[in-house]
Amino acid sequence: MSYYRESIKPLFLRMASMPLAIVLLMVLAIASVIGTVLLQNQEHADYLNQFGPVWYWVFRSMGLFDMYHAWWFIGLLGFLMVTLSFCLWHNVPRMLKEMRSRKITLAEHAWKRMQHTHELSLPEMDMNVVIERVEKVAGWKWLSYQEEGRTYLRGDKGRYHKWGYILVHSALLIVLIGGWMSVQFGFRGNMAVPEGGMESQISYVKGTGVESLDMPFEVRCNNFEIDFFPTGAPKEFRSNLTIIDQGKEVVTSDIIVNEPLFYKGVRIYQASFGDGGSKVELKLFRLDGSKRIDVAKGEVYKTYTDSESGISMEITDFKPFNVENMAAPGQAKKFQDIGPAVDFILRGPGLKPVKVRSFMNPFMVDGQNQGSLIMVSLSGDNRDFQSFFLGPDLTNPKEWDLFHAFGQKASGVSDGGSVEAFKAAVREVYGEKMPEDIQDLGIRTLQGVNSLSSLPWPFVPVLDDFDQVYYTGLQLARDPGMNVVWVGSALLTFGLCIMLYVSHRKVWLVVEAQDKGMRVRVAGLANRNLMAFDREFNDLLRELDDNLGLSKQGESA
Amino acid sequence: MTVAVAPSLISGIYQGRIAHTRFWLYLGLIAGTLALAFFGGNGYDEDGYLQRLLSMQGVIWGGVGAVVGVAASFLLGNSKSSGGASPAVTNTVPWIDGLLLMTLLMALFTLLEPHQALISYEDQSNLISGRIVMAMNLLFLFSAVCYIMHLFAPESFIGKMATMAAWGGVYAGGTSLLLRWYESYLFLDGDIGHAPVSNLYEVFILLFCVTSSIYLTFERRYQAKAMGAFVMVLVSAGVFFGVWLDSIGQADIKPLVPALQSYWMKIHVPLNFVGYGAFAVACAAGMAWLVRERLERRGSSPMLKVFPSLDQLDQLAYKAVAIGFPAFTLATILGAAWAAEAWGGYWSWDPKETWALIVWLFYGAYLHVRVSHGWSGKTLAVWAVVGFLVTLFCFVGVNMYLSGLHSYGRLA
Repeated sequence: MSYYRESIKPLFLRMASMPLAIVLLMVLAIASVIGTVLLQNQEHADYLNQFGPVWYWVFRSMGLFDMYHAWWFIGLLGFLMVTLSFCLWHNVPRMLKEMRSRKITLAEHAWKRMQHTHELSLPEMDMNVVIERVEKVAGWKWLSYQEEGRTYLRGDKGRYHKWGYILVHSALLIVLIGGWMSVQFGFRGNMAVPEGGMESQISYVKGTGVESLDMPFEVRCNNFEIDFFPTGAPKEFRSNLTIIDQGKEVVTSDIIVNEPLFYKGVRIYQASFGDGGSKVELKLFRLDGSKRIDVAKGEVYKTYTDSESGISMEITDFKPFNVENMAAPGQAKKFQDIGPAVDFILRGPGLKPVKVRSFMNPFMVDGQNQGSLIMVSLSGDNRDFQSFFLGPDLTNPKEWDLFHAFGQKASGVSDGGSVEAFKAAVREVYGEKMPEDIQDLGIRTLQGVNSLSSLPWPFVPVLDDFDQVYYTGLQLARDPGMNVVWVGSALLTFGLCIMLYVSHRKVWLVVEAQDKGMRVRVAGLANRNLMAFDREFNDLLRELDDNLGLSKQGESA
Repeated sequence: MTVAVAPSLISGIYQGRIAHTRFWLYLGLIAGTLALAFFGGNGYDEDGYLQRLLSMQGVIWGGVGAVVGVAASFLLGNSKSSGGASPAVTNTVPWIDGLLLMTLLMALFTLLEPHQALISYEDQSNLISGRIVMAMNLLFLFSAVCYIMHLFAPESFIGKMATMAAWGGVYAGGTSLLLRWYESYLFLDGDIGHAPVSNLYEVFILLFCVTSSIYLTFERRYQAKAMGAFVMVLVSAGVFFGVWLDSIGQADIKPLVPALQSYWMKIHVPLNFVGYGAFAVACAAGMAWLVRERLERRGSSPMLKVFPSLDQLDQLAYKAVAIGFPAFTLATILGAAWAAEAWGGYWSWDPKETWALIVWLFYGAYLHVRVSHGWSGKTLAVWAVVGFLVTLFCFVGVNMYLSGLHSYGRLA
């Protein structure tokens, strides 16, 4: 508590009396926090759900769901621009005048303000020689003025440091103007183009809704490819695009992430990808004992309905690779691609709708066939997928035959007789030449009896063939303010360096006659980095000694 | 660093003709390799550049640059004939020397890398860089302890040990990062090789090194050794965080998502950390200010002799912000340039961007308060400390608690 009183409270008191610029910067900073904590541009229903009706209306009326475009936030930015303009208006003429007019003379009372003073005496030297030699000291911008028998010499370094202030503040104004131009005259939106398809419209989020805009050209996606790392993580997305302008193919080019295409002021970026309606063929293995296998031909985003059972499959996604970590939990990771799979939602009379992922290949562990695999998610969420091993490898027609032969032979046989029944079934299907993996085959067939009969469906859908089609997710943007922003940014960086690193260093020399020779008084003043100025002032004195021929005397003395 | 051992010899190489020529040699080398990047072959190729740099082509381009640089150094002459070198030389040459030394150490350590069979993507525990990071952790912790002891025993050799341990930590950290760069090419056929600034663990090591080296430079220039206790305690806190990250498996080298596969990453991220590191030093100076002020109010304490004066600490905090602010500004601008290239817009009000803006506004206000209105003292000290807390949230908090386009920085 005492800490609060001692350090935070004065801070608050100061805040209250703070100049406008600082208050404005802090208010902007604090306001910006809101939009990072409250998710922006979501569905209204989600907000209503999350905050309840009262807060929903409060937040909505304040525009907090699209805060950075709300009237009050734009107003704050506008006010910042006004303040910046005012600062520049107020200070620039004064600063320019100060930089131009350098007072060469130095009043006697000003000597007290000086950080450094020094005095030299030069016997037998002419005034003009002194001036000439002083002005030879490099690095300083010298001016001289004679008055009442005295000569004033003034040297400056970093005289233009006030440009730092001017540059930084006008740069910020330029950046803000560029930002306004981007918003006012530019656009940014997305389009999804399936392989082989064409699109000319982008859609974008405005507020919490979606709007669309026609492009002055059409984009055709000729091809989309993904490269994967061996870990299954995507390595590169590449779209081959053709721009069609008024019916004519004008540009054909590849784009990848970080390397967009530029046409007619619009940049076309690789943003995302997805399935663009792949054609898939599933085999439906009927479980009514008839051994029948039907073929279901479907397409992603379309629904296939099996006329026999009335079961429908809404195909939602297809993936040619499915890399999974095969290691047991806690052991070193081991990635393996388990092949193509199709996702669909299975609905039917008297069935609970479930999401199914059906794999094309049997599941292999260390070269050992574990039979066909499907995954089922009762919630419909991909995270809830659970593996379901069917038993037989259904890509091998003989195993399907064996499953049925065993079913026939084993029916009515007690547990002890199942081995005999299996042997008989193998002989029936494979003839006298026993397959090598007969043990595994036995386990799988037995597993099949259990697992297949536990399925609530009248058939098992297994992916058999596919013709993959991607869509490429493109982002199209035109940004007429961007170059303005870059100019502003460059000026900002440059100006900051001047402002923070260049100090204005001033030295005065007053030369006056003394006895037969001259007396030279030196004074120096800097506005920042005083430690460096100490060194510099001493360097200057040393150079003066050299130029005026004093160092030799010093050495000999 | 080893100034105490052989002051004349060590400081000699940073002065006069040797430093001057070396400065131009480095400039020439950098210009040559940059020219290779832009004009050698068919323009810049992100994946092939390193190979090209290490091939005969790289030797030729770099060599020509170096020769031109050395020639320029003789043509342009030494601006200061009297012993001292120009600020441009003294401010850059030691840093490039340090980087070269780290590269050399990295090359030596690659010889100690275990047999290929012991290295795999799945099990990266045998890589030598992990051990060097461990050494770095120990050195930084040891240094923090020594700096704290130094406050109580300023005359003893402990202060020197603290400085040496901190430098050791910086070199260990830098070397381990360079090694990780090399190691990222060791498995999966070199497919996932990338600069070691791609996840929280790596950038934390970078942050330690940047913070410590900025502080150590201040220590040497402005004799502000008591501040080391505060800087190194901050770094040590980070070390514990890094160890925790390692323990939950976040230290592994992983492939880069396509959005990060860009040369911008190598520019944007390190520059940002120059900013963060400098703000950390400013925070430490602010903390030292607050402690010293408290000690002063309590009356005379022997520790007051060790601490720099309030005015000096105030100056140091400002100097740190003056380094960090332009670096952070430039890093944010370059980030915007990258975003324009990768995401189609230079500013999206993504949480990371917004927090970067907040940090920028915060320190912008600090500079206004200080430069334009001439405030100093407690308000500014508190401001520097709070500023670093805001920075920390921007750096770690956003990754951990908020989602957005920078979500690859998240813990998986």
